[in-house]
Amino acid sequence: MVAVYTFILGSLYLLISLGFSLICGVLRIFHLGYGAIFVVAAYVTWMFMKEFGLSLIPSVILMLIFQLIFILATYYGIIKRYIEREEYLLISLLLIALIVEEAANYKYPIIVGVDIPSTIIPGVLKIGGATIPYQMLIAALVGIIFTAIFVIFFLKSRIGLVMRCVSQNVRDSLLLGVNVERIYVYALLLAVIPPTICIIIIAPVWAIDPFLGWPLFTTAILISIMGGLGNLKGSIMASYIVGFIHSYTSLLLNPRFTGLTTLVIVVLLLIFRPEGIARSESLW
Amino acid sequence: MVKFEFGRSRIVIRYGNSKFEWTIEPRYWRNPLLAVLILLAIPMLIHQQPGMLTLFTIANIYAMIAIPLSWQIIGTGRINFGPQFFVGLGGYTAGLLSIHYGLTPLQTLLIVILVCLVFGLVLSLLTLIAGGLYFSLITLILPLIFLEITFIYGDIFRGESGIGGIAPLISLGSIKLNYLVCCYISLAIALTYMLIVDKIFRSRWGLKMAAINDNEDVARMLGVDVNKYKIVTFTVTSIFIGIAGWFIAHYFTTFSGVTYLPINYLIKLLLAVIIGGRGSIYGALAGAYFITFVEEMVKVFGPIHYVIFPTLLLGLIFILPEGLWGIYRKHKYREYYPSIRIRRR
Amino acid sequence: MMPLLNIINVTKRFGGILAVDNVSLSVNEGEIVGLIGPNGAGKTTLLNLICGIYKPDSGKIEFNGKDITGLPPHKICKLGIGRTYQIPQPFPDMTAILNVAVSVLNRTDSANMSLGDALLEASYYLEFVGLLNKRDILARDLTLWELRKLELARALATSPKLLLIDEVMAGLNPAETLSAVRLIKRAQEEFHVTVLWIEHVMKVIMEAADRVIVLHYGKKIAEGKPDEVVKNERVVEAYLGGKYA
Repeated sequence: MVAVYTFILGSLYLLISLGFSLICGVLRIFHLGYGAIFVVAAYVTWMFMKEFGLSLIPSVILMLIFQLIFILATYYGIIKRYIEREEYLLISLLLIALIVEEAANYKYPIIVGVDIPSTIIPGVLKIGGATIPYQMLIAALVGIIFTAIFVIFFLKSRIGLVMRCVSQNVRDSLLLGVNVERIYVYALLLAVIPPTICIIIIAPVWAIDPFLGWPLFTTAILISIMGGLGNLKGSIMASYIVGFIHSYTSLLLNPRFTGLTTLVIVVLLLIFRPEGIARSESLW
Repeated sequence: MVKFEFGRSRIVIRYGNSKFEWTIEPRYWRNPLLAVLILLAIPMLIHQQPGMLTLFTIANIYAMIAIPLSWQIIGTGRINFGPQFFVGLGGYTAGLLSIHYGLTPLQTLLIVILVCLVFGLVLSLLTLIAGGLYFSLITLILPLIFLEITFIYGDIFRGESGIGGIAPLISLGSIKLNYLVCCYISLAIALTYMLIVDKIFRSRWGLKMAAINDNEDVARMLGVDVNKYKIVTFTVTSIFIGIAGWFIAHYFTTFSGVTYLPINYLIKLLLAVIIGGRGSIYGALAGAYFITFVEEMVKVFGPIHYVIFPTLLLGLIFILPEGLWGIYRKHKYREYYPSIRIRRR
Repeated sequence: MMPLLNIINVTKRFGGILAVDNVSLSVNEGEIVGLIGPNGAGKTTLLNLICGIYKPDSGKIEFNGKDITGLPPHKICKLGIGRTYQIPQPFPDMTAILNVAVSVLNRTDSANMSLGDALLEASYYLEFVGLLNKRDILARDLTLWELRKLELARALATSPKLLLIDEVMAGLNPAETLSAVRLIKRAQEEFHVTVLWIEHVMKVIMEAADRVIVLHYGKKIAEGKPDEVVKNERVVEAYLGGKYA
């Protein structure tokens, strides 16, 4: 049973952490406001559905547009200004997350139910002693598909190659004529898509509250660091390792300890092996 | 024999071989003595207004944390993104001891100092091991771990509602007098911290800490025992911050981790230091007062103030890169103007 | 007479690269010894080994009769070795006088010195190098030549017995080069320091050094008086290539 949950959770975490690893790998910053992306995805969709009465698909499309504009605003407004001064950068990104969450909490407080009917296959699947909603299975599969797409993109495409250059050495990339800023923008735009999709698919099975960003952010940062600060290969391995740790803790040990375990492991990793398990600090 | 000399703008006291010099700042707006007198007078002026005394006390509490925090940033060369860990430590220690063992505030104070000493020593090793960015991340997560533990062992820590019924700091009959005296105590603690940190910064230890902040390796080469300074700075500042937690517990007679441990509180503290002026200690005091003031003002807008407050803070970061202290200072080169660095190592 | 600094069979590897290969040299009190060699010969690594930034893989380093192999850098500084850096590394946010004051405070004999007295001592060193009028300017606003002088003042302020100088001439014009040499010679006379000097500019070494040691690919290939070393076949081959030997 642990194996099943490891697979499901691992693939899910792939989706969640892919964006963070991408930002960390290409821009070399820790986006402490990553949790905001999830909140924006869920609540903006809900807002379009409730306030404007649109059905699911148009809401999602509009929300995607909003999400892309939001991350661009974050880049041009904050990241670009403070990329040299990391203390301001980290605090500003934290503030962004706070603002977004408090705004969501104000408009749709935590007691109001947010219902995004994105169920594709209703019902549950019983496999290996575990009961898994089909929705989660779909999310896991989507996670794997997305990761595969990303990997192919980085290995085979021209822009992927350029991104890998930028992640390894910004100054030399500049010298070679790469428009580093444009690469940053592409990376950011790509990075918001996996978490958004994840939230949309997961919404029917997981509770949506304005503060769901933080545990997801903790998981994403854990996977990123364990995988080696943005290294994609490492992140893939780390996702399943963390999935295993979570399943093991919830099913075999005390389930209340899951959040704590994640945090403690992040701290221990940061102290003893901040380079993570991968061998290089670049994107691949 | 103690000899007094009155110069044109200074008082020099000689005792035996040592000399104690006190410069009287002629320009009134820079005179620290004047500022202290004004601060001491404020509680007497405002104690008629309900709630104003508490507001001032809260401002002093922020200052009690922000001043050691800026000292810690300069002395260790890294930014601690989790000072509220020690606030929680001090508060919960005081609270739990008070409820379960009925200790008086003074007794809990001693134990709080002891506990913070131990934790501070252990965690100070982090300053030696972890480099800039990683240190910030580790300290960011530590209070969250503490928060999780308070939820998991909810029966001990009383979960979200926190510990109630902690012994009040002073019981002097009338409630108004209590509040007034507590307010003065908070002011006294904040000013004491300021005095201590100021004296240290102006001394030779301050210079060595400035060297560590600027370039650790070169400081090591020049003979500064970097590790010793980092450990001592971290431990002592942690104790100071823990005392602030102790004060919070006994002043409000309740203590709940949910108020003081999450990211919200952290942002306020960090911004008090940064808006006050990138690590300078006088700025920290001004920053703490400023943050309290802004938070009160923003409450006028009703429940939406939770959104407006962080937005305002973000705007403040944009407008005031050098902080309030930067507006006041016009690049006087004579003193040390520290800058906070996060090094990725 | 026992040498002030004695390096015995020191070796240091970095991964697969042999930076310093079984080097032995000694420096006697009061002399100026030049350390030359092509780039990558291991000169700066040797300096770092003496200062305690790296630990040698094998071998011993003795200073003033004491074994200092593997001691941490701040203890070695207190024992009396000072160094300057090739790329000046001042404390950028502090004024020039504060930079030197940090060194003054770390001398062994000034354990209880107050800040004011340290600043006074610092100004003495600044005056020696000629930077007294720039004492209140932030270190990051100084020019390269002034930064080099500041480095020298800072190293001298720790009252060392041995001064390690790392390529102080790089980037200076001929007038500044001349004053730099004069400054170092004056420092040697006035403060009674012994100097171990890494340099690339040959002219300077020829006229300033009493003795010259040549390193090549981590090995010591020649030692002796400047005019002898210059004529040594192996040295010429190392610097100019086999054709000119």
